[in-house]
Amino acid sequence: MAKVTREMVTKAGVNVDELVELLIKNAGAELTTYYYYTILRINLIGLQGENIKEIAETARIEDRNHFEAIVPRIYELGGKLPDSMKEFHDLSACPPASLPKDPTDVMAMLKVLVEAERCAVRGYTHICNLTAGKDHRTYDLSQSILNEEIEHESWFSEFLGEGPSGHFLRRGETSPFVSKFLR
Amino acid sequence: MNKMQEYSLEVLKQFDGKEGRKAYVACNGLVYDVTDSFLWQGGKHQVSHMAGTDLTSELEDAPHDIEFLKRFQVIGHLV
Repeated sequence: MAKVTREMVTKAGVNVDELVELLIKNAGAELTTYYYYTILRINLIGLQGENIKEIAETARIEDRNHFEAIVPRIYELGGKLPDSMKEFHDLSACPPASLPKDPTDVMAMLKVLVEAERCAVRGYTHICNLTAGKDHRTYDLSQSILNEEIEHESWFSEFLGEGPSGHFLRRGETSPFVSKFLR
Repeated sequence: MNKMQEYSLEVLKQFDGKEGRKAYVACNGLVYDVTDSFLWQGGKHQVSHMAGTDLTSELEDAPHDIEFLKRFQVIGHLV
């Protein structure tokens, strides 16, 4: 734990125990999403599925990166991951991104994907709101993750016909915003 | 099937989602059953929101609007 780090955040008026719990829940959401997106990506087959497969894979890897980036901050603030992975799964901030009943239905797959990203966008927006101007490191971390989650949402939303995402898919390395926390 | 009925804040407190109890939340005068929601396990939502309470004022600071609650069954009115 980083003692003075925690003190500074407490002094700024943040309930650090609640913040740590939120970080653990969102870390749980990232790791479970990485798992469930593996299944989704594998099932994105055929002419329609192939178009989405690469995007799903990028989101999957970046969500895993988000987990890696959040974990040190949990420990810096005096928290810890649950001893049980099952418990970690069940306390996730977002519901499981489970395979739809008909895995050949690409639109149904996209809806699962976009809802998972929307849950993440809400979660990190909330953490940013709690920490802005008070916990500069957690804010920086959450904002970085939020930037990537927003891009994930926009890609899947575009494929659902909800309008342009406004940008290209990834060109080059994954996690352009979060990678600085992965060194 | 639950009939629509009236819940006072005192009665609502009993439905806190803990120890196997149902989880109900109130918002804008309606009472919703969130018992089966993954995000309301143990009667708590995102760390700081508790079942068995009126969440109307808390919704203002939430990263989502009332549409999210409308996914759940309305089972009564808050009085």
